[in-house]
Amino acid sequence: MIGPLAFATPADTLPAAPSVANRCAFCGLPAGRRSKQAPAIAAPVYCCLGCRVAATFCSAGDVPGEARRLLTRLGLAIFCTMNVTMLTMALWTNDIYADPFAASPSDFERLLGELTRYACLVLSLPVVMLLAPPMGQQAWSALRQGRLTADLLLLAGVAAACAYSVASVVRGSGHVYFEVACVVLVAVTLGRWLTAVARQRTAQALEALERLLPEMARVVRQGCEAVLPARELAPGDIVRIVAGERIAADGRILTGSAAVDEHALTGESVPTVKQPGDLVFGGALNVDGLLCVSVLSPPQGGALARLVEAVREARLVKGGSQRLADRAAAWLLPLVAALAMGALAWHVPRSGWEEGLLAALAVVLIACPCALGLATPLALWSAMNLAARRGIVFSNAEALERLAKVRVAAFDKTGTLTTGQPRVADWAAAGSPAEIVLARAAGLATRSNHVFSAALSSFARDLYARVAEPQGVRTWPGLGVSGVFTDDGDQPFAETFLGSPRLMHQRRLARSTVSNDEVERLLASPAPVTCIGWDGAVRGAFEFSEELRPYADRTLRQCRELGLRPCVLTGDREAHARRLASQLGVDVEAELLPDEKVAAIARLQRDHGPTLMVGDGINDAPALAAADVGMALGCGADVSRESADICLLGNDLAAVPWTVALARKTVRTVRFNLFWAFAYNLAGMGLAITGKLNPVWAALAMVASSAFVVGNSLRAEAETQLENLGPWPEVNGATPP
Amino acid sequence: MTDAALAFVGGLAGSAHCAGMCGAFVLAVGAGAPSWRANVARQTVYALGRIFTYAAAGGLAGYFGLSIERSMPAAARVQAWLAVMAGALLVVQGLRAAGILPSGWKGNAAGPCLTAAAMRAFLGQRSMGGLFLAGVFNGFVPCGLVYAYLALAMTTQDLGGGLALMAAFGLGTAPAMVAIGATGALLGLAARRRLTAFAAWCVILTGAIAIGRGLAYMRGPVEGQPVCPGCEAAASLS
Repeated sequence: MIGPLAFATPADTLPAAPSVANRCAFCGLPAGRRSKQAPAIAAPVYCCLGCRVAATFCSAGDVPGEARRLLTRLGLAIFCTMNVTMLTMALWTNDIYADPFAASPSDFERLLGELTRYACLVLSLPVVMLLAPPMGQQAWSALRQGRLTADLLLLAGVAAACAYSVASVVRGSGHVYFEVACVVLVAVTLGRWLTAVARQRTAQALEALERLLPEMARVVRQGCEAVLPARELAPGDIVRIVAGERIAADGRILTGSAAVDEHALTGESVPTVKQPGDLVFGGALNVDGLLCVSVLSPPQGGALARLVEAVREARLVKGGSQRLADRAAAWLLPLVAALAMGALAWHVPRSGWEEGLLAALAVVLIACPCALGLATPLALWSAMNLAARRGIVFSNAEALERLAKVRVAAFDKTGTLTTGQPRVADWAAAGSPAEIVLARAAGLATRSNHVFSAALSSFARDLYARVAEPQGVRTWPGLGVSGVFTDDGDQPFAETFLGSPRLMHQRRLARSTVSNDEVERLLASPAPVTCIGWDGAVRGAFEFSEELRPYADRTLRQCRELGLRPCVLTGDREAHARRLASQLGVDVEAELLPDEKVAAIARLQRDHGPTLMVGDGINDAPALAAADVGMALGCGADVSRESADICLLGNDLAAVPWTVALARKTVRTVRFNLFWAFAYNLAGMGLAITGKLNPVWAALAMVASSAFVVGNSLRAEAETQLENLGPWPEVNGATPP
Repeated sequence: MTDAALAFVGGLAGSAHCAGMCGAFVLAVGAGAPSWRANVARQTVYALGRIFTYAAAGGLAGYFGLSIERSMPAAARVQAWLAVMAGALLVVQGLRAAGILPSGWKGNAAGPCLTAAAMRAFLGQRSMGGLFLAGVFNGFVPCGLVYAYLALAMTTQDLGGGLALMAAFGLGTAPAMVAIGATGALLGLAARRRLTAFAAWCVILTGAIAIGRGLAYMRGPVEGQPVCPGCEAAASLS
């Protein structure tokens, strides 16, 4: 029954015991009764707060040497402070127990008292020597720049308390306030340390993304395979990736196909199967195949690196509430100094130097704007990190704040709500042999950049159709292309047009003369249709179908649940748009040219409020820029588009409501933190000025407030550990602020 | 039985419960010790640090109890209420440890803990001073049992008394912790559960005694030395 165990959570090594109660994930003892239903996500359960804290301790990373020295200082200072506090309380106890009827304290008691006082002095020395110099350096360097800092005020107060206490000890009478000085120093250092650690954590969370890139890569050069550092990869290198490895750099697959997990980059929880010719990101995981990839960009310049860089840069730009906090902090300190002086001037004549000093020190401590400076940036950065882990990049924190206020979500159609890759659904020919119609259509399609043309070409390719070669190709913007075909027998010199029905009408290619039922049916359908015609007649029609992106309807429903009004803006035909409207249940505005889209956005802003526009950032850049917040999908390796405030690496529409919910939750946290920081400051200030607040309590309250704000801001991070287990979580209806 | 002796026994009995949570720490302290003697030395220093924190907290609690008494009117019978409260807390803790009351801790995934790095750094120290500080920090780790005994320390209403009580409690937990750390062995789960159940009943008993004492104070005179009913009975016999 007794056996050696390694240093690990002891519960790990024990077999699962068949019992009714839950087990503490750390110590293995029962952790309360099992809940009625099994939890959806298997989160570890702890029997007490201590076990939970201990579990975090054991899984924490190592601390670099520099921080360790600081911690040792802090630990020693805490030890001495505890002793000083105990001795001081012993002194107070003596005061309390002092017999009111005795003429004077006995010699022994007096000696004991003096001894205790000297002990306090001696034990306070290490605390002051360890903790005061760093604060002093900060205060001095700020003073040289002409800035007044809280450090300076606090040090002045601590110095005054110490000086007075030393004088008391030397004189042999009077109170000593060493414990005030010690606790203040310890509390302030602790508060600063918490802040520093919290900032470091948000920075580190981002670097965890960078660590996804493997260090080494298998490079194939001239037929020989060598393992090289990934840093040395250059565009054009061929890299082999075995199943289970991460891809070292952005590239295009040459051979092999595999399921690739891009969860870390795009948040898509289901691995997608990639084929030769597909693009892959560096940092993605090759799940189950063997891939040969041609490198497109070195790891340092790939999508992942650029994503991290973009988030880092985004942090530098201050959002609205950050600017507010900065402005508040700027005039707060002089105000605090004035109030402290005022308290001093008020209390000293009335109650003596002691009361005055204590009151002034308490004022400075309680008014210390530490929480104020923390409240905003930490929560914003934490949220931006969280979003970055799902492949969502904010260009700056202000975009996050604006997103929380939006009331309307406008979507572009082609490429945003739909996959943007139409297929030929049906086609018909009339008046000429089908083979010639298809050949000419394919021939003209290869000369056009339109998405429909690409679909036509691949359709023809799939059918192994002959592709005719056009001469004298001309492009008609917004309408189609035309060319002359000389190599088949059908009207060799008549110009052939491929394009929208409007082009047919313009070119006076009539439908009535030769078209048949099939062509008529296609032309009447609400789906997009491209026609081909020559010599005065429409000879064929191709109908395209567009796939809606997966979860498009769910996304729109979630937007509605969030209180957003969804709306679709498209340049497509009215009939098709109306069909989409009824299918998805949203408002649609159709046949909009690019500047009409901008006008539509302005109308939405006027009628309903701040507007979010979701598009691809290229074709609807003006609309994205005109909206209050522009979100671009499918940025891929581009990472950032100029016109968009928020860029999504992937194509998952579910990101839209999730990001809005995140923004709202973050803004609420920021507001709550700011409110708390101000409220407790004001309340404490009243007590401190009237001299009712002991500086020790003020210092402890300050640390508690900082810890609370930090904990609140970082809480979002803790919740992601549960979210990572599933696909995009269902957003709960967070009300708009 | 004086309070301190009771606390010592409580600590001794409660070691089985402590082994689960704090066992991991002492194992870390002992890891890498060159010899058995050095290991015991480390464990002792570490335990001293822990006891220091408990004693300091106990002293604070005792003083706090005293100052409450002084600042409230005598008729409020502060001492009695403190004793009842402390007893109730102890009973609840014991019942939870025995599994009768639900634990009530909705544990979720270990969130970001900012002091985790600090603790880890201290646990890895090789110097005696560092180990002592690690013990000092360990004393601050949240533990329901410690809080319950702190409440009891408050009832002593004396700086020295509270200090002594908590020091006794810490000393009670020390042998088991040192033994675990030095031998690197943790009792099997079944044995630990049984010992925990036994310890839980000890804690419940302590709590019941405290409640009894509190109720006796309430009924007794305002002035005068309150005594433990057991001692009073013994005194009346002699």
